[in-house]
Amino acid sequence: MSAPELVGGSAADRERIAHELVTVTIDGRQVQVPKGTGLVEAAAAAGVEIPVFCYEPRVGAGIGACRMCLVEIEGMPKLQTGCTTPVTDGMVVHTAGTSEQAAAGQSATMEFLLLNHPLDCPVCDKGGECALQDLSFRYGSGKTRMTFRKRSLEKPIPISPTIALDRERCIMCFRCTRFSQEVAQDEELSAVNRGALSMIATFEDEPYRGPFSGNVTELCPVGALTSTQYRFKARPWEYEQAASVCGLCPVGCNVAVQSREGRVQRVLSRNHPEVDRGWLCDKGRFSYSHLYSEERILTPRRRGVRELEELGWEQALDELEGMIERAQGEVVLALSGSETLELAYALAKIVRQGAGSDRVVLPEQAADALDPFRVPISALAEAEEIVVFEECPVLDRAPLIELWLKQARRNGAHVTRIGPSGDIQRGRGEAALACQELAEKESALGKRLRAAERAILLWSGGGGAGGCHLAALAHALGLHEKEGSGALLLPASPNARGVAEAWAAAGDENRQPRQIGLLVVSGDEAASEPQVRQLAEHARATVALTLFAGDSGEWADLVLPATGYLERSGTMRNLEGRLQRLRGATGSPARRELSWLAELAGRLGVDLPGSEAALFTELSAKVLDGISLASLGDRAPLPPRVEAQTFEAARAESPPTLLGGPLELIRYRALFSGPEVEHVPELSFQRPAAEVEISPEDADRRGISGGNEVVVRSNGTRVTLRARINAALLPGMVRVAAEHCAELARGVEVSRP
Amino acid sequence: MIGSTLITVGRSLGVTLKQIFRGTVTEQYPEYKRPVYPRFRGRHRLNLHENGLEKCVGCSLCAAACPVDCIRVVAAENSADNRVSAGERYARIYEINLSRCIFCGYCELACPFDAITLGNDYELSEYSRSDLIYTKEMLLADPIKRTPVADAALYDTPTPYYRTDS
Amino acid sequence: MAKAKHPILVLAGAEQGDLRALEDYRRAGGYASLEKARKLGPGATLEQIKQAAVRGRGGAGFQMGQKASFLPSPGQAKSPIYLVVNADESEPGAFKDREIINRVPHRLIEGIQIAALAIGAERCFVYIRGEYLSEYEVLSAALAEAEAAKLVSVPILVHRGAGAYICGEETALLESLEGKRGQPRSKPPFPALVGLYNSPTLINNVETIATVPKVIELGGEAYAKIGVKDSTGTRVFSLSGDVVRGGNYELPHGTSFRELIYDCGGGIAAGRKLKAIIPGGSSSPVLPADQVDLSMDFDSVQKAGSFLGSASVIVIDERACMVQLALRIGQFYMNESCGKCTPCREGTRWIEMILRKIEQGRASHAELDLLADVCDRVLGKCLCALGDSDAMAVASYVKHFRAEFEAHIEQGGCPYGDTSSLAGVRSPVDEIYRGRIGQEAAL
Repeated sequence: MSAPELVGGSAADRERIAHELVTVTIDGRQVQVPKGTGLVEAAAAAGVEIPVFCYEPRVGAGIGACRMCLVEIEGMPKLQTGCTTPVTDGMVVHTAGTSEQAAAGQSATMEFLLLNHPLDCPVCDKGGECALQDLSFRYGSGKTRMTFRKRSLEKPIPISPTIALDRERCIMCFRCTRFSQEVAQDEELSAVNRGALSMIATFEDEPYRGPFSGNVTELCPVGALTSTQYRFKARPWEYEQAASVCGLCPVGCNVAVQSREGRVQRVLSRNHPEVDRGWLCDKGRFSYSHLYSEERILTPRRRGVRELEELGWEQALDELEGMIERAQGEVVLALSGSETLELAYALAKIVRQGAGSDRVVLPEQAADALDPFRVPISALAEAEEIVVFEECPVLDRAPLIELWLKQARRNGAHVTRIGPSGDIQRGRGEAALACQELAEKESALGKRLRAAERAILLWSGGGGAGGCHLAALAHALGLHEKEGSGALLLPASPNARGVAEAWAAAGDENRQPRQIGLLVVSGDEAASEPQVRQLAEHARATVALTLFAGDSGEWADLVLPATGYLERSGTMRNLEGRLQRLRGATGSPARRELSWLAELAGRLGVDLPGSEAALFTELSAKVLDGISLASLGDRAPLPPRVEAQTFEAARAESPPTLLGGPLELIRYRALFSGPEVEHVPELSFQRPAAEVEISPEDADRRGISGGNEVVVRSNGTRVTLRARINAALLPGMVRVAAEHCAELARGVEVSRP
Repeated sequence: MIGSTLITVGRSLGVTLKQIFRGTVTEQYPEYKRPVYPRFRGRHRLNLHENGLEKCVGCSLCAAACPVDCIRVVAAENSADNRVSAGERYARIYEINLSRCIFCGYCELACPFDAITLGNDYELSEYSRSDLIYTKEMLLADPIKRTPVADAALYDTPTPYYRTDS
Repeated sequence: MAKAKHPILVLAGAEQGDLRALEDYRRAGGYASLEKARKLGPGATLEQIKQAAVRGRGGAGFQMGQKASFLPSPGQAKSPIYLVVNADESEPGAFKDREIINRVPHRLIEGIQIAALAIGAERCFVYIRGEYLSEYEVLSAALAEAEAAKLVSVPILVHRGAGAYICGEETALLESLEGKRGQPRSKPPFPALVGLYNSPTLINNVETIATVPKVIELGGEAYAKIGVKDSTGTRVFSLSGDVVRGGNYELPHGTSFRELIYDCGGGIAAGRKLKAIIPGGSSSPVLPADQVDLSMDFDSVQKAGSFLGSASVIVIDERACMVQLALRIGQFYMNESCGKCTPCREGTRWIEMILRKIEQGRASHAELDLLADVCDRVLGKCLCALGDSDAMAVASYVKHFRAEFEAHIEQGGCPYGDTSSLAGVRSPVDEIYRGRIGQEAAL
């Protein structure tokens, strides 16, 4: 094969490119690759496979542990590992395909790897998709020369409720430990003992506790680390796969949803290099089984004399139609932000066109002010300066962003967090102020931001208006003019932008009824919002569309079953503004919303198609510039930046003074909370503890030490929690997970009981 | 002309006359059952280890090999108080839809534990199609009716080691 | 101690007793070389070291000057340059570094300062074997004394290892020094470019560094005249095994094994016959007795099929069962394998299992061939030299003493019965390993 011809560009261009390229010969094939390319990649470019086990560029540079990639390089006395060798110009390489010496090395490695590896492929969950199985089939010998008993160890060991470890199968590639130590940086997994006794372990009997632990099951090239939920559920050739998108947070990780016999069996990453780089958080990976919880509502329910009673769909729609009629245009729609654009549009159309009301409660929204500063999430990895206005921890809002921030820091970026427990401590509600100060006042950070070629600003929590403040700062810094710079807002809900767009597309009138004749609550998140709950108290009637009766079950007059994001098809807009497709992996045990909404629309005389595709076409013509569903593809592209305009941001104000107590309560929604987590027993160990985080100063003043039982109270509400001293927390603040807050007000006092 | 006609008629009469003195070939099935060839592929059986544990570990390789997709396996994990098979995993559900099965024997070849083998029974008629879905219990049980099998020594092809006579 | 007719360089001044006190060391001419080096300047000092052609005393025998010349010059380097002294002397048979630290600690410190000056190091580290507690104390005391006397211009940090043979491997040592699990790194890149904390690092053995003051004192060319071509200078030989007077003997390179064993060590007790010599610590292939007149220099020993390595000569007399010896060596490497790369982790254990089967007389001839083949399959495939050492050493026993291995197979047990000098002596490694395997793995 000849060297690929470089086409296009001027002669000077071609020469410049040629300068950065090196020519290597691999198994007699010449190939030109950029300088510094690894040998494994260069060989792949030449069409030669160098098999690997331990090499995984996403967990760091090659370590040469497994010795599967041994190759002969002319001029080197010993065999070299392809994974640790960058190519140099004129290098001549012989892989196992052409070199006897390399083939001997590879077959030795194969024999040694299989020496103690159990032949339990029929039992092993990895069987059928196992790197060791595939490569030994191709490179291994059919016979073993091992006459001794294989090593037998206790198995499987649950290293966490979600992950099982089989040490017999482990080939010590150190992918998992490198992930834990170098990617997630949780330092939870490590190798213990040495030599033939080496094994992967967590610290003593502690579980692997970390928001990204599940990735090790996908990284493991053998069946040593497997998911306990997926254990023995299906074999790789039995499932159907849907290329969907995770709908639990605004990152929108690309997932492969695998189902068998109509049930989702596992969720794997699909690796969108600009969004998730092949990683998933444990919530996205393991929470799918909430769909099969016994508590899920599958049929409509109506408030009866004592409790909710089941009724048929025909009756339910009659009831709903009656409710809408009785409301006489006084209808309010509360959206969660977890709906697809299509579903939100259908609901909006029924309310705006069918019920004649334009009053809506939207989730904390991401304004389009940041569109001129749009960057792919992956740009974080290359950034020099990153400033995070972090009133809510990034991890809780958009977990994958935290992983990207870690990557950025490893690549040498300055990451500055501004917030109650940040590098620059600012109180709650002061993010906008901090933003404004950074734009207007001289500071070291401001100077660095101006000087940096690639700077990215992030806004996490601190109000939906944050986008405007952040845009003003980004504009002042000129980020719209710099490639690789930008600003991103992490909204509280997965599709906040999308549902707002869908709402806007459904009508152009603005009728705002004062009274609430009917409150339509869509989604469990909206149902748990205190604001929505207050509205429900004023509403004459309430209908809720939820997966679980949970919150709404206490006050809704009619509860209609919803479908989960894994069962839905449609589109969602993530925090970058990327429109991504969801593809329903399975049918839903509950009736599809769009099916009965279309029926309801027919009764109300609204023209509403019942299919997602038709709804998308309608939406697209109205608000999405007529783009087609097909143009989104499997890995959706990022829309281009829009032209920056100068605008006046509202002046930031200091937060109002506290009432109720001297300490400000930060009520946060932890990553592992919400109905998707509560109904998955395997994830309960990850849920936030009943703790109150308090600064050392405040703790000292009250005679509290870490681990003490304390009482948090305000306005007559008392909650007993365990104290945890958080040295990073700004004095005057306490943090409690929302699920342990009960009715606590913003100002609280903490004391020993 | 006439001569050749007579010869033709004579020949055919000869055939008829010959057959008159031959014995009958009709077999009185079902009163009489002709022994089947030892490698005849009939209804499947699931086999047990000598200690009573099931050989099947629920690996679904048979289902993967099946060209007509008539096998359904749902696995589960063995526990200390419910030990079904020798390994970690066992087949909680094992079903063969015999109305679909073409008796090709691929499942038998794919099985890594000789758990599923094809027996010699061919009398599988039922009044209802759903009765032809054989469950694990049915496949584990000895067949009610036994099919006679010819002596393997009469044939010069070996019977595979994993075939059990039924 | 060595005889007076040979030049004593590294251990000079310590013939009669320890030379630990700074005052005594100075009286014997100590720290004069450092003065001289400071006057010469870095370039000229490095030039002297290069001229002396001092080959590394740690095992690999790479020329120190050449290794130092791979380092970037101090002006060019983006990150600081470090000097690391490998005092993790763990090779079975080697005990010369401990003698040097114990007797002439200041010579090591002086050597470190000169070498640091020559390469422009910003900081020096001494990684000392964890079990060398008293040596650590001696070195620390000497360092404190030297620091008080303002002799230490480049700071030295002495770090104790935690008991792993592999940490004597230079890259594993660096990992351990950085606080990570002691496992070797893949080379290239070599430590001279990417070493400690990703900075250019020169790593040398204690003895190599302790040679430096004498090199500067005598001048590189004069030093190079001692010894033989390509193996210059003297060497501290650790003599052990079946010999009357074991110990450290400083002799010039080129001395024969016979002289070391019979003249210095007083030969083998009770007139027993020499059976084999391990020339450079347990990792070097064994030499049969007929090689006793071989010259002890890097090239001659290599030509004979072994390595001078750390110059740790182990003498084996006729009583020893070579299968038992091979097994003990196999057990050592199995236990010390770090577990990072596949051939070493799995291969060392397999080798040990086959050896044990042969030793117990349960093996077949095919398994002896298998053993040789497994050794061959480990050799040259590993990440560092540990797996290679095991494979080469074990293969050498099979090669030179195949008849003994075959006798085990044919007689169904050890032909020596209980008379072997190793019979019934279980190595501590064996105890630990079997005990743990017993609990965790039930072999």
